[in-house]
Amino acid sequence: MDQAKTAEQLRLCAACPKMCRHMCPTFLAWRSDSPTPHSRSLLVYQEMNGTRNLDERAIEVLYQCLECSQCLVWCLPQVDVAAIVEDTRTRLVEQQRYPQGLDKISSMIATNHNPFGELHSKRSKWFTPAKNVGKKIVYFSGCTAAYRENGIAQSTASLLTKLGYGVSIMNDEWCCGSPLFRTGFRNQGLEEARHNADVLNKQDAQEIVVTCPGCYRALSRDYPENGVQLARPVIHISQLLERHLDELKTADFGGLVTFHDPCHLGRHCGIYDPPRRVLNKISGGKVVEMQRNRENAMCCGNGAGMRMLFEEQARVIGKARVQQARNVGAAYLVTSCPFCKNMLASQDAEGLTVLDLPEIVMASYHLHPKVKM
Amino acid sequence: MLDSKTKSVLLERIRTVVGSDHVTVNETDTILNAHDANPLSEAKIRAGESLPLADLIVFPASTEEVSKVLKLANELRVPVVPVGGGAGTCGGTLPVYGGIQLDLKRMDKVILIDNQSMLVQVQAGVVGIDLEEEVNRQGYTTGHTPTSLRASNVGGFIATRSGGSMSSLYGKIEDLTLGLEVVLADGSVIRCKAVPRHSVGPDLKQLFIGSEGTLCVITEATLRLFPLPKERRFRSMSFPDVHSGLEAIRLIFREGVLPSVVRLYDPEDTALHVSSHFDVEEGSCMLMLAFDGRAEKVAVEESIAAEICLKNGAKDYGEGPSRYWWEHRYDMYYPTKFATSGYSVGDTIDIVATYDKLENVYHEMKKAMEAHDAVVMSHFSHMYPNGGSIYMIFFVSKEDASSAWSAYKGIWDDGVAACLRMGGTMSHQHGVGTTRSTYTEAEWGSGFQVLRQIKEVLDPNGIMNPGKLGMGGRS
Repeated sequence: MDQAKTAEQLRLCAACPKMCRHMCPTFLAWRSDSPTPHSRSLLVYQEMNGTRNLDERAIEVLYQCLECSQCLVWCLPQVDVAAIVEDTRTRLVEQQRYPQGLDKISSMIATNHNPFGELHSKRSKWFTPAKNVGKKIVYFSGCTAAYRENGIAQSTASLLTKLGYGVSIMNDEWCCGSPLFRTGFRNQGLEEARHNADVLNKQDAQEIVVTCPGCYRALSRDYPENGVQLARPVIHISQLLERHLDELKTADFGGLVTFHDPCHLGRHCGIYDPPRRVLNKISGGKVVEMQRNRENAMCCGNGAGMRMLFEEQARVIGKARVQQARNVGAAYLVTSCPFCKNMLASQDAEGLTVLDLPEIVMASYHLHPKVKM
Repeated sequence: MLDSKTKSVLLERIRTVVGSDHVTVNETDTILNAHDANPLSEAKIRAGESLPLADLIVFPASTEEVSKVLKLANELRVPVVPVGGGAGTCGGTLPVYGGIQLDLKRMDKVILIDNQSMLVQVQAGVVGIDLEEEVNRQGYTTGHTPTSLRASNVGGFIATRSGGSMSSLYGKIEDLTLGLEVVLADGSVIRCKAVPRHSVGPDLKQLFIGSEGTLCVITEATLRLFPLPKERRFRSMSFPDVHSGLEAIRLIFREGVLPSVVRLYDPEDTALHVSSHFDVEEGSCMLMLAFDGRAEKVAVEESIAAEICLKNGAKDYGEGPSRYWWEHRYDMYYPTKFATSGYSVGDTIDIVATYDKLENVYHEMKKAMEAHDAVVMSHFSHMYPNGGSIYMIFFVSKEDASSAWSAYKGIWDDGVAACLRMGGTMSHQHGVGTTRSTYTEAEWGSGFQVLRQIKEVLDPNGIMNPGKLGMGGRS
């Protein structure tokens, strides 16, 4: 965003009587006026016009943001607070003025190319190559599916094989960079990006498929916006499955299914219908919408460094989202993001089965043992 | 501002009440919490000026915690400014003398929906839209939908005697509040029982409704509910002038018809807000009506209202302008590039008067306000059988901050003076806050001494929101 546009947006947001605040997940978590979109803009506005510099608390407030962009949906003048926050974070990182809690994530990605501190050599342990002569596709698993949600990665590979693809994974996949881009470590994120692009561009595949919307946004938006070009199209698993609707099986899951829109997939990339069409097909139309859905879907609480820096409040948000699924009588809370799934499943989800899209599609084939039916 | 010793003692003791996580003395938090939606505060922030700051912000979770905090503040003579959603337009939550901002946002529970009596019991910190959506899910409406609904909360509604856009049918918050729980300056908790009417002396809760934090902190309320209307129909009529439009409104009510929405836009407001979407004649005044209820009732009401309008010289615009307003009713609350550029400030003086005075109040106020080179436009809304409100909206822009703030004050001074001179009352729903504080005594006349004496009894140390409602200035 250019400086004049940013200044105008900040001025509008700083003058607003908080018309989006009631939808902001961090307002829900803290019930205070500080961690809200208006306050974030006001802090940056005051810094920009020389009224007041960002102090330690102001920086903390700027990191108490999920960058979920729910506020943008409710903003008539279309002030992009998430973009303003992210640009400010990038500047703060360049000035070495970010919360020290982020050093851990930055150094772990630098050392192991994942934010969990797991050994890089174990990244692909989940993968068992299958022989298939179909259309060649490379699956970019992302860190969460590779290390924390193997069920998603394995279901995805099995499903792709079942649909006739010749599935490969990257020879040396690194973090997509999303956690770094979102928290202001843009340059470090671009190092990961350049490596991934170099490897992916040499890979023998027609398409790149991802299950993580954070990876999807990074590969399809952040990379090209920062001059890193991928030679093959990037597709999200929900879009790929939508192409194969006729081949998917319909199963009786014994209860209603509801879909949680991941912020990176929905509000940031505009993908709302493909996962719903898939769920509608495999459940035989037993899909129910939560009151907050599509562009108004509440964030799971796991984004943009929030869980790492403010775990208690992140869990408050996750728990509220799980309750929203309960409120509509769903038996299955399905998302299409390993990161969201990890957060939602770790909440008090008793009575709800939390699954990722490839997992529930595999369940419809009764092939995957990890799914509780 | 508090001296450091008092602040330190207070902080330590308040931590034992609400816990360390729910009290802050951090300057950044006090800056972010300082302002409400007062246009002058917002203009000053845009201009890089500073606002008065609280010494501490406290976030209680219960009435008991509110009571303990007030006892401490009273003992140490520390000002307490209750904060709800922070959506008021009059600076009611500005901590003019520092002290504690008592922020009620954690008290956000809808406690009980009583289907039999059609009531909802609710904590003060519930945001208006959250409450409305919750009762909508059960088939009800609160009938209280001010433009600030997304940002304001129940405690703020009651503290300011707020009014929603459909108050003509459902009433204002003072009509909708059946039960009330408040905490006084000494920490005592007062509960006014929820009953539809009573005959046991004066209605104490009406003393607290509209007291803007100067007499008590509102912690809980029991509000009326209405079944969601089966139908809402819209109708729009254009009049050649304000006079004929107002006469039609008066006659509609006289016929016993109670529309949910009644809004008559003067020629300037019609030109700005209606003519960009509908083909209206220059100088005409658009009347927007809505009718709620069962289909048969709504059809009869609409027919009677339309007949009266046509007899009084109206041109029928169907549902268009009225429905358009309804669907975009929150849009005007957002800032625009034009209204936030340079040293600009706009505001609304929302007065109220009976029909015999309403038109004169309008003309005199408009003249007085325009004398300051302000753009003035108005609509008559929140209408009732005996009179109604006028939104006297103004906008002024100057080359520098001091000229702009000075013009702003001049418009307010002369606008309110004209209103009072012609027999109007200076606010229908926005309240007093800091903006109208200095005019309060003139508005109340001899009654103001009664209010002042009540204040002295309930808050002898003057800790409750000092500097508001014309009372409690501290040396």
